[in-house]
Amino acid sequence: MRILIADDELMSRRLLEKTMQRAGYEVTAVENGRLAADALCKPEGPRLALLDWIMPELDGPGVCREVRKRKDQSYVYMILLTSKERKEDVVAGLGSGADDYLTKPFDPEELKARLRTGTRILDLEDRLIEAREDMRFQATHDALTSLWNRGVIMELLARELTRSRREAKCTAILLGDLDHFKNINDTYGHLAGDEVLKETARRLVSSVRSYDFVGRFGGEEFLVTLNNCDPAFGLARAEKIGKIIADQPVETSAGSIAVSMSFGLLLSQEWGYLSVGDLLHEVDTALYAAKAAGRNCIKVAVPKGQQDAPFDRSTELMRRRL
Amino acid sequence: MTKCAIDLHELLLRVEGDRALMQDLLSLFKEEFPQRYQALREAVESRDASRVISEAHALKGMLSNLAAGEAAEASAELERLGRNKEIAKFPESFANFERIAKELSRQVAAYMAEVSG
Repeated sequence: MRILIADDELMSRRLLEKTMQRAGYEVTAVENGRLAADALCKPEGPRLALLDWIMPELDGPGVCREVRKRKDQSYVYMILLTSKERKEDVVAGLGSGADDYLTKPFDPEELKARLRTGTRILDLEDRLIEAREDMRFQATHDALTSLWNRGVIMELLARELTRSRREAKCTAILLGDLDHFKNINDTYGHLAGDEVLKETARRLVSSVRSYDFVGRFGGEEFLVTLNNCDPAFGLARAEKIGKIIADQPVETSAGSIAVSMSFGLLLSQEWGYLSVGDLLHEVDTALYAAKAAGRNCIKVAVPKGQQDAPFDRSTELMRRRL
Repeated sequence: MTKCAIDLHELLLRVEGDRALMQDLLSLFKEEFPQRYQALREAVESRDASRVISEAHALKGMLSNLAAGEAAEASAELERLGRNKEIAKFPESFANFERIAKELSRQVAAYMAEVSG
């Protein structure tokens, strides 16, 4: 555990430094309050501090006040070292945000015992943060596949559409549905079905860039947003994803299972200012068309009125359109 | 018999038996003390209560760490006089501190000479 020692008096600093090193702490020692506050306010700064009360630049209570002003950073446990013993001094010190105080000259055993109290509190904070992060993950991710859940992927899509409209860029929305998934469940069992879903999720994530989004939209439906996607390559990228899904069978505990996926694809810049709900309806219609066309294929959603218009993209893209 | 200016037993407890650290602290004291002492003297002579408070406070901390109880108390008394603005009492109190400090310095020098062989 790292600890910061701040004391302008050299002998006191040396004594503290050695005592703390002997107790197994990794010590940073500074000679004034300003340096102490700067070190403690760094994002990865020490989380334990022993602060002399009276120091140049900034006194111990001043350091405590600066550290407590920070938000969204780990808690710093601070002990004031003081020769002040009057009740009003103690009250002022604790009021500045110090967790504890110790009267100089300190007894090494008492100092270490008080630091153990601080460490226990920091451990507790770590456990609470871990629990909060677990809950945050569970609230935003699908429990089976660990992909974004439906609520979050829709929020991410809405945010991405806003951004792409503002920047006159294109977001490709890809809605995929595993083919014959009910048969897989019926034939191999639900556990094998779950394994297929998990592996499909893994393949989807591996097939997109780090700044694209992949979410589980429903049972065997997945929503992928390809952010800042060149529309000329939207279909090619969707085809690549489909190929990655279907190229290899999924190895499950019930055996090897061949899988494929049907996709609806929508390129946002062709759709103006339609709502997220309306765009999802359009891409869902395209997915339905891909299913109707025999599955394991991609259909592109095209706005009415443009379906017969001349395209400025490749004939290949035109040929595959809905 | 001369009274010990430093409680060596107490100091050893404070450094958890680390004699090298104890000698290190005594060396630091030898280096640092004359400047601090001079600063306090000047503050007293100029009757500057706020400087007396800060210099006496710093000395008190240094001497307490060294388990030099009597010298620490004498500097604490000067700090108290400064806080109470009892400037007229500075010279007498400083004279007492000076007497104790000289004996302390003599004993530290003798101890260091002894341990360094």
